Amino acid sequence: MMLKRLGTIILLFLIFASPVRADATTVSGISGDLVCQCGCMMVLSNCSHAGCAVREAMTTLIAQKIDGGQSKEQIIQSFVAQYGEQVLASPPKRGFNLTAWILPFAAILGGGGVIYVALKKWVRRGRQSQPSAMVEAEAGNEEYQHQLEKELKDFTEKGFR
Amino acid sequence: MADIGYVALFLALAVSVYSAIAFIYGVKRKHLALTRSARNGLLAVCGLVSISVAILAYALVTHNFQIEYVASYSSSDMSLPYLISALWAGNDGSLLFWAWLLSLFAAVVVLQRRDAGKVLVPYASSIIMFTQVFFLILLVSVSNPFHKLAFTPAEGMGLNPMLENPGMILHPPVLLAGYVGFTIPFAFAIAALLSRRLGDEWLITIRRWTLLAWLLLGIGNIIGAWWAYVELGWGGYWAWDPIENAGLMPWLVATAFLHSTMMQRRRGMLKVWNMVLIILTFSLTIFGTFLTRSGILSSVHTFAESALGPFFLVFIGIILFGSLGLLYHRSDGLKSEAEMESLVSRESTFLLNNLLLVGAAFAIFLGTVFPVISEAVRGVKISVGAPFFNQVNGPIFLAIILLTGICVLIGWRRASVKKLIRSFLWPLVAALMLGIALFFLGIREWYALVAFSLCGLVLFTILYEWFRETRARHRMRTENYLKAFWGLIWANRPRYGGYIVHIAIVFIAIGIIGSSFYDVEKEATLMPGESMTIKNYTLTYENMDYYETQSKAVVTASLSVYNEGKLIDALTPEKYFHQSYEQPVTEVAIRTTPLEDLYIILVGWGDDGSTTFKVLVNPLVSWMWIGGGVLFLGGLVAFWPERREKSTPEQTRARRK
Repeated sequence: MMLKRLGTIILLFLIFASPVRADATTVSGISGDLVCQCGCMMVLSNCSHAGCAVREAMTTLIAQKIDGGQSKEQIIQSFVAQYGEQVLASPPKRGFNLTAWILPFAAILGGGGVIYVALKKWVRRGRQSQPSAMVEAEAGNEEYQHQLEKELKDFTEKGFR
Repeated sequence: MADIGYVALFLALAVSVYSAIAFIYGVKRKHLALTRSARNGLLAVCGLVSISVAILAYALVTHNFQIEYVASYSSSDMSLPYLISALWAGNDGSLLFWAWLLSLFAAVVVLQRRDAGKVLVPYASSIIMFTQVFFLILLVSVSNPFHKLAFTPAEGMGLNPMLENPGMILHPPVLLAGYVGFTIPFAFAIAALLSRRLGDEWLITIRRWTLLAWLLLGIGNIIGAWWAYVELGWGGYWAWDPIENAGLMPWLVATAFLHSTMMQRRRGMLKVWNMVLIILTFSLTIFGTFLTRSGILSSVHTFAESALGPFFLVFIGIILFGSLGLLYHRSDGLKSEAEMESLVSRESTFLLNNLLLVGAAFAIFLGTVFPVISEAVRGVKISVGAPFFNQVNGPIFLAIILLTGICVLIGWRRASVKKLIRSFLWPLVAALMLGIALFFLGIREWYALVAFSLCGLVLFTILYEWFRETRARHRMRTENYLKAFWGLIWANRPRYGGYIVHIAIVFIAIGIIGSSFYDVEKEATLMPGESMTIKNYTLTYENMDYYETQSKAVVTASLSVYNEGKLIDALTPEKYFHQSYEQPVTEVAIRTTPLEDLYIILVGWGDDGSTTFKVLVNPLVSWMWIGGGVLFLGGLVAFWPERREKSTPEQTRARRK
């Protein structure tokens, strides 16, 4: 239960505390959250088409809206109303889009759980088999010596991998 | 000539089909003559595809514009290196280049002198030839590079001006060689499954091949990032474009594979997992080619759009279902011998590293294909760009970096607390001191602070471990420190090659963190004689110039760069107007120092003589390229062959049989 709660806390932390630069209501700040609609699929501030008319029009509109006193959220929403969700550089963290945001972390946490269980099992198995291995080594000393030599030779050939 | 090239490809296809079947039939029926014949067939395919490549290269160099490919991707004013690079500028040429590399690698596989894995070679060769059949089918049908036009144009279209950069000569072939290289480990994995030889033999055989492919793909990605940085003119190096992601995903999974194979070889663990990883890696390389060639997802690379998509989808389906089905069928022979003594051991860190690397690849995969999923499920078009990838992958990569430092210090099987403290104490103290120093130097963003401190921790742990091992050798052998240091590396190249690669990753991380969190950008319109200021730099716009070359008109703007009042440089960003391309191309001016890059883009100019510049200061970017060089060095050290012991007359006789 405790582990589950810790997992949820880590998951929420990872999703919402990931590196996001707190951009102010500036043209470069807002254009970093939008995709240029010229077809290049680049973030608006990164559209590298020389003399791209769409980029110019979009950034001019952002500047006008900032001058008009609109907030970052209002400006972004006006672009969504005009172009649809595809104008956003990343899917909003709600509804079906949450799958994209959560699934990678959920998969890693799930995989972590599997690894933890497997490790515990292997460690238990390792502890159980150790004494018998030692007895065998004492019983068949010559065979053990042979095995040791083989493994050492093997290690020399393969080295640390 | 073009006809000979096409016929050679057709013959190569026929021989590949024969060879692929004859290898399997020969080895199953123990028909030595048939296996030998298949081997000769494989070598003949190499010869035939080489002839095709030579003919296409000759057609490019001699400007044979009757061949559509030559007319589409070259022109008579191009220099020799770019004419050769036109081989991989378009779909048809790059698929031919792929087939050629595969045929060369296949020839090396069958000609290589080997002590282990001989029995696997016929099976693996058969798989390689089946892959070759796929590419040759494309080349003789939908992607024929020798297709002739009904007339001969007087001049070719030339290379896309964006591609005229040294990056074009290096990035595609190195990346492609990386992609193709993974066919060999995959082929040996399937060979092990087919032949039921499921021990370590196949892993021993493919170690160097995997390392080579991994290194080429890694270096190819870094060259691609550098190329984007200096050529695309937006001030960044990685846009999380689908095609960039396609190059990164197999590299991440292959990194996991390189680590987890050590677990199998040292401890007999993760046998099924290793198979899954190499199958995934190979599938992702084909998926990457599918993304590049099909144009299913819009990207800056969509100059290579074509109707190849369905072919690749079918091939990916065959690979995935075929190999995973075979793996399931053979899973009884892949039972793990897993036993561990402690939860705190190198095995655990490797498992975590595998989880995070594959997790990162999954996150990138999901982000890359999510627009398609969203459209299919909701019918809504969305974009998944850099902000998503940065937010999702940032913490995962940070955790990977932490593990990079920890895993080299934790011993196999069991790590005692005493030893852990001894190994980590000083590096941890040094990293904390670094964090405090950075805080007082003005680094206040907690994420950057943590990330830089982690990089410091990793670097210090590796250097400290290296120092301790050098000191031990110095004491044991009474060698001086320098000799002990070199002796240490030379005696165990895979281990220390790995250390160097880890240091390279830290350098690259430093470059990414610095440039992502502390870049400054400013745009200004200046009249000649006017200045703008960005960070410590003052830029004075001197004048604009114009000149023409055979193929283009060039506009240059000269700027004097002052730092705290002292003239330190003169930079000239440019804009090219090519005769054969409508779009102008931006040539940025970059002043690089180890601390930061001053990056100037000439945006445009007005009739009144005013000129607009976009200027960026990108901190620590050069550490990415230094990291790339160190990565290459580390990979080379790990890859460097060990001296072969002289074989006894019995061994020589046995080899001849």
